Amino acid sequence: MATAPAVVSAPRPLVVRRAVNRLTLPVLMLLPALIIIAGLVGYPLVRTIYLSFTDTGLGELIYGGSTWVGLENFKEVFANDRLRVALVNTVVFGTVCVIGTMVFGFAVALLLNQRLKGNLFFGIAVLLPWAVPAIAASAIFKWLFDSRYGFVNWALVNLGFDSFQDYAWFAGRFSAYVAIFITVVWQSFPFIALSLLAGLQTIPKETLHAAAIDGAGPWNRFRLVTLPLLRPIVAVLVVFSTIWDFKIFDQIYVMAAGVPDRAADTAAVAAYREGFALSHYGLGSAVAVVLFLILLAFSLLYVRLIGKEGAE
Amino acid sequence: MRWLLKRGWMYAAMLAVSAFALFPIYWVVITSLKPRSEIYTRTPDLWPSDPQWDQYPRVLGEGHVGRALLNSLIVASGTMVICILVSALAAYVLARYRVRLTRILLVLVLITQMFPLVVLVIPLFVTMRKAGLLGTYWSLIITYLAFSVPLAIWVMRGFILSIPDELEHAARIDGATRLGALVRVVLPLAAPGIATTAVLAFLEGWKEFLLALTFINKEEMKTAPLILQTFVGRGDTDWGAVMATSVLYTLPIVLLFVLARKHLMTARTAGAVKG
Repeated sequence: MATAPAVVSAPRPLVVRRAVNRLTLPVLMLLPALIIIAGLVGYPLVRTIYLSFTDTGLGELIYGGSTWVGLENFKEVFANDRLRVALVNTVVFGTVCVIGTMVFGFAVALLLNQRLKGNLFFGIAVLLPWAVPAIAASAIFKWLFDSRYGFVNWALVNLGFDSFQDYAWFAGRFSAYVAIFITVVWQSFPFIALSLLAGLQTIPKETLHAAAIDGAGPWNRFRLVTLPLLRPIVAVLVVFSTIWDFKIFDQIYVMAAGVPDRAADTAAVAAYREGFALSHYGLGSAVAVVLFLILLAFSLLYVRLIGKEGAE
Repeated sequence: MRWLLKRGWMYAAMLAVSAFALFPIYWVVITSLKPRSEIYTRTPDLWPSDPQWDQYPRVLGEGHVGRALLNSLIVASGTMVICILVSALAAYVLARYRVRLTRILLVLVLITQMFPLVVLVIPLFVTMRKAGLLGTYWSLIITYLAFSVPLAIWVMRGFILSIPDELEHAARIDGATRLGALVRVVLPLAAPGIATTAVLAFLEGWKEFLLALTFINKEEMKTAPLILQTFVGRGDTDWGAVMATSVLYTLPIVLLFVLARKHLMTARTAGAVKG
């Protein structure tokens, strides 16, 4: 370092040297983060896309030597009943979860915004489910929905629904999804409700007041004033929950494990099983890539949405 | 009367929502305190006849639960420390330098947040296998950085942007180097932001399940969510033990959340809503 500057500085103009000096520090500071993102996100992503075009099994994965099969895996994803069902499950169940979470979260946000007595307690009560990790929540709800000793069946039978005596929620796709839907909504409505509450609190009281004076009832005030003003936040939250609910893994892996024929698996779980349980790494990668493309579309939508907001 | 008609249903709704939010948590705690005969019954009681705490020492002693919680603590703390170091530097550059790539980089950072992890898991597994790291803490700490660093950069950049440039200039006029000013002026002022980011990074490591499921095989290396899944997946699930484990696994986060809820909300919404 002591001799280097003399050699370097002589032929180079001062401006370039200054620029190099100025850029060294920031580049060095960015480098660790860039290496992590490139090495742990970029490389594996490219690698998965490559694998999805090969017939990689366990042997090829470890010793190399897989063959290129073109679009075969992708044809298989849509031809294979189990995988196609998993993709349809993802889209349908994901969409229902998003709608359920948004509607319920919005209702809770409006309620929190009323500032009733006991609001602080209410706010903390609503926050708590968000703190529960997905696996713990799955265990908790699996116990609540247990066929013989679960609280839900006991409560339903006591309410007069006798057919729920020993009802096995996780023996069929639809009933398993009902239980998982309730788990997902329970876990994700707090974030939606509290974000929307933050948005609601930015709406000036005068605006709502003026609308009331003009004769707008509560429903029209909500529809014509509140909702349009909250549109940017709602849009971003919808995109966010779509991404979260479409890539759902933990809850399905734990709660849908007992459903016959793995009929309730979603794309993320199916991709994982295809790879790690069946050693079809090529096919598993193809499922993952299809899921990735669906989510990428939503991510781009999101970037456009925040792009618009940034421009305002 | 008018008041009752107008406000009464709102209070009813508030109570119903609170019950929906709290009942599952209440039920877990209650189940963990019940003796066996009151857990496996078709007429469950809302309150244990005689609360018993022996479930807790039992799971901590026998079922690898204590070990699993320790494993989770090590992995989550390791992730947190490295994540803070790496992302504080990057966030500072992205906040202070007019890098032409800033916008592209930030979009990239955000998109990595939206990846389904399952897209990355197969190559990460191969890499860890080749590096001989499978089944170690490092395999988890390193891979958890993949999604905690982008979020941390995003949140911390917001905090650094809110610190006035002038303070730094003053320090530099007094002879501090850029790095010196960062360490002595910017980072102390960004302490709330660093704390928030630390909590977020810790939570990511504490909650993660998919990669742990893939990388960890040995019983004594399993993290808490993995142990829970193993319990639930068995044919004859010991629900008392599962519920006690869930309480031990969730309690630290609930405390963290209630204490830091204001900061967590601003951080999450700053990341989610603002461009």
